[in-house]
Amino acid sequence: MPEDAPARRPFVVLRGLGRGESVTGWALVSPAVVLIGVFGLLPVLMSLQLSFQKSDLLTPETPWVGLENYRKLADDPVFVEAIKHTIIYTALFVPGTMLVGLFVAAALNRSVRFISVYRTAAYITMAVSTISQGIIFLWLTDRDYGLVNAALNAVGAPSQPFLASPSQALYVIVAMTIWGWTGFSVIVYLAALQGVPAELHEAAAIDGASAATRFRTITVPLLGPANLFLVVWLTINALQLFDEVYATTRGGPLRATTVIVYYLWDRAFVQFDAGYAAAMAYALFVVILVITAVQFRLARKHVHTS
Amino acid sequence: MIRRRLCIALVAVLALVLTACGGGGSSPSGPTEIAVWHGYQDTEGEVFKGLIDQYNKDHPDVKVSELYSSNDLVLQKVLTAVRGGSAPDVAYMFGSWSPNIAKIPQIVDMASQVSNPDWKWDDFYPAEREAATVGDKIVGVPALVDNLAIVYNKKLFADAGIAPPSPTWTWDDFRAAAAKLTDPSKGQYGWLIPADGSEDTVWHYVPMLWEAGGDILSPDNQHAVFNSEAGVKALTTLQQMAVNDKSLYLDTTNENGPKLMNSGKVAMLVTGPWDLSQLSDIEYGVQVMPTFAGSGGTHQTISGPDNWVVFNNGDKKKQAAIDFVKWLTAPEQVKAFSLGTGDLPTRISVGQDQTVVDKMDENLPGSKVFVENLSNVKKVRPTVEQYPAISEALGQAIVSVMLGKDQPADALNAAAKAADEALAGK
Amino acid sequence: MTKLQLSDVAAAPVPTLAHSDAPPAPPARRRRWLPFSPWHLVLIPLTFLLIVPLLWMLVTSLETEGEANRFPPVLLPERPRFENYSEAWAAAPFGHFFLNSALVTLVVLLSNLVVCSLAGYAFARIRFLGRGALFVTLMATLMVPFQVTMIPVFLIVKWFGDNVWAGLGIDHIGALMLPNLATAFGIFFLRQFFQTVPVELEEAARVDGTSRLGVLFKIVLPLSLPALSTLAALTVLTSWNDFLWPLIVITSHDQMTIPLGLSYFQGAHRVKWPLLMAANVMSLLPMLLVFVGAQRYFVQSVASTGLKG
Repeated sequence: MPEDAPARRPFVVLRGLGRGESVTGWALVSPAVVLIGVFGLLPVLMSLQLSFQKSDLLTPETPWVGLENYRKLADDPVFVEAIKHTIIYTALFVPGTMLVGLFVAAALNRSVRFISVYRTAAYITMAVSTISQGIIFLWLTDRDYGLVNAALNAVGAPSQPFLASPSQALYVIVAMTIWGWTGFSVIVYLAALQGVPAELHEAAAIDGASAATRFRTITVPLLGPANLFLVVWLTINALQLFDEVYATTRGGPLRATTVIVYYLWDRAFVQFDAGYAAAMAYALFVVILVITAVQFRLARKHVHTS
Repeated sequence: MIRRRLCIALVAVLALVLTACGGGGSSPSGPTEIAVWHGYQDTEGEVFKGLIDQYNKDHPDVKVSELYSSNDLVLQKVLTAVRGGSAPDVAYMFGSWSPNIAKIPQIVDMASQVSNPDWKWDDFYPAEREAATVGDKIVGVPALVDNLAIVYNKKLFADAGIAPPSPTWTWDDFRAAAAKLTDPSKGQYGWLIPADGSEDTVWHYVPMLWEAGGDILSPDNQHAVFNSEAGVKALTTLQQMAVNDKSLYLDTTNENGPKLMNSGKVAMLVTGPWDLSQLSDIEYGVQVMPTFAGSGGTHQTISGPDNWVVFNNGDKKKQAAIDFVKWLTAPEQVKAFSLGTGDLPTRISVGQDQTVVDKMDENLPGSKVFVENLSNVKKVRPTVEQYPAISEALGQAIVSVMLGKDQPADALNAAAKAADEALAGK
Repeated sequence: MTKLQLSDVAAAPVPTLAHSDAPPAPPARRRRWLPFSPWHLVLIPLTFLLIVPLLWMLVTSLETEGEANRFPPVLLPERPRFENYSEAWAAAPFGHFFLNSALVTLVVLLSNLVVCSLAGYAFARIRFLGRGALFVTLMATLMVPFQVTMIPVFLIVKWFGDNVWAGLGIDHIGALMLPNLATAFGIFFLRQFFQTVPVELEEAARVDGTSRLGVLFKIVLPLSLPALSTLAALTVLTSWNDFLWPLIVITSHDQMTIPLGLSYFQGAHRVKWPLLMAANVMSLLPMLLVFVGAQRYFVQSVASTGLKG
């Protein structure tokens, strides 16, 4: 339901309040603006300053180097690799998590007995720390002692190195993080599925539509806002992947899982080159901003035409 | 209506909370309070806290408080605290950070202090002193020392009918034994190495490099020389075991070594004394590092000393902190700490005290070899601030060779080039 | 336009159904092959897959250290070692940590619910000057990783502690609350869900003379209970498990939260897995309770139908 409706809609009589609305609007957002402005925006701006300096976080002298850090970034082959890995990761993770989450949420969106137990289980998986998740996946996918390879061997397939292999590691991380984020996706979709009126389903069922068709044509389109939320939020998070890489492969083997934020953390806290890390963060920030804006624009178009 | 109630609730809770929050503050007169950040827990933690209690009792004009902070994360914490003006007074910091933390102006240069003979500075093992020295500055006082040696599973050797590692072993002997002890059908390997490309990987390679006669950097620390013949020889040994014999298990998690050892899946581990207590389920032995045939046999090993670093938070606190560290690292306390925790003694006098060494070996078998192995530490890693970059380049090279993706000479040459660029300040 | 009240909606002759995708099948055709719903056959394996990490945590929490130090891991301890729980509890002042975590989480939760509802509604329904640009600006705070912003945040919080109230500054739990009192995440989330509330209901109320705030509290919020309780659950989770920020800011034992307490078990060379997992399990329990309590609100209790004017 687009909020910026064309004048033809019946509530045009309320539009006269247009200017007064700004005051109300700003009044309502002001607590958030103050809080987020001070603790969210101000640090972002202060870090921007850091990206124009050469700093190791140790010495108080932080000489201004202008765009030098950004120039170095353009020539950095590891950064280019990190970008590639981050893109591949995001492209797989976001749709993967949404699909799995939707499937599980649909399964959980019914009133069988003990449904709250299943839902609680989905929720509580999000409470497991990334460290524990890392340990488990490292074990499950171990080349010699892991369950996955044991299963593969049982059907005659050879053991795979998974997280120890430069070619497979990133994809295992995709699987691992989809697993870890499913709970979140499920919870969001569950909340959204509650808003789908049962009457529409009944009407369609009486007309003879199958469950699958009904799901596709009624439920899915009404999940618009939830979908947008998930796409945007999951993308923002995927592009900033760090914890799970830190907990398992530390960017390896041979940089195969080095993603942007992991690389920048390494530059800042292991190599003591914080200015460079800040520049990387800002380059990433611009990309995320652009992608998010595009997602919102596409969503708006889609909603208008549906 | 709901909103008003919520607001009131929020304010009430906030008020309750913030008044309940007390902060520590020191009264203007009264004991000087100093804060010590450390990574000790368990037995080490108990012994350490005991030492602090003792110090507080004996020195009523000072109050030492301690804070546990995991060593891996303490750097971020310290950096933020220093920037924010709330640095601790003493902190335990990894020796590898020395060249970088030397640049923090708030760190106290101990050079003038330790020149005082009652510190007995020369009683600390040479490697420790070198690790704490950056140019003219001494950034800290040795807190911990360790070294690498071969830890092996006696039963696996006996079952395979091979003689256990001896002091005369060469790397060829090591390789042969590892090969014989590898049985893919049982998931058993001869040797395991941390293979994530971090400093953990590098410092397993470095003693081999040194033993072969090589070095990491040139004497003036201006360029990398690890791609010498010696370096290639050392890396080739690793390559042969990892790629050809497949007797070397590459642990990319860096954590599974002691676990696999304890489960009887790995016959040998090159590690330090900290892993011994985890090997509760097997009978293990400890032996010095192998030599390279024809190199003169120095059994060189590597040590990773860490330091107590003192921060300047004003004259009174600074002096109190210095006095505390001096007491903490005095021979008597070093002895008590080593006996209580099993950590190797940081002082030569304590390390050569037979009663101490025997008692330690009684508490934790194998300790004796580790203590004596301290005299095999002849070199240290260069204390240059670009070391993290050099380590990274070298680590990636070693892993790519062990994964079979590269040849030793090529990999080392590429790494040397990257290291030189880092040293040149690019 | 007829006066339409919320009470009319509730009284309307539309059956109030629990929302589920399965429509009531014509009675004659449904036959049960199993004594329970066939969906259990799907849900059980699915749930099992999801909770494997938790099962591993439970198993490890009952092992001895020797058993926990094996690889491949031991799946069934010889004897479940329940003492791990009492030992973990005694290893550090966890009671105090629980209290601190609970206070911080409670304040952050209430603050977020209030502030983000207000802002989320404004972004969802009110056209005000600069709305688009402001929304994007707030969202921008989600796009820079914390590793980069943590030092500036530290400096800002320190300023508050030095200049406003010590209780808000470094090494106090107030500092744990301050940067998290509102997040762009919450605003974005609620904006999306508030948009699904039928705008006709709001318009009807406004025509009646209800103010925007009134519409928010009388119409939008009651119809958004699933979204609010979801946001609550997510906020509780994030706040409870926050580790990096408390690590940087807190140095006194009496101000520590649970995740910091858990790091006690993670030594430089060795992790005490059984105790760590026991402590982890114990720290999950409050969140479990919160979620079970919030379950009630996950299901919409009032029929929201698509009414035409």
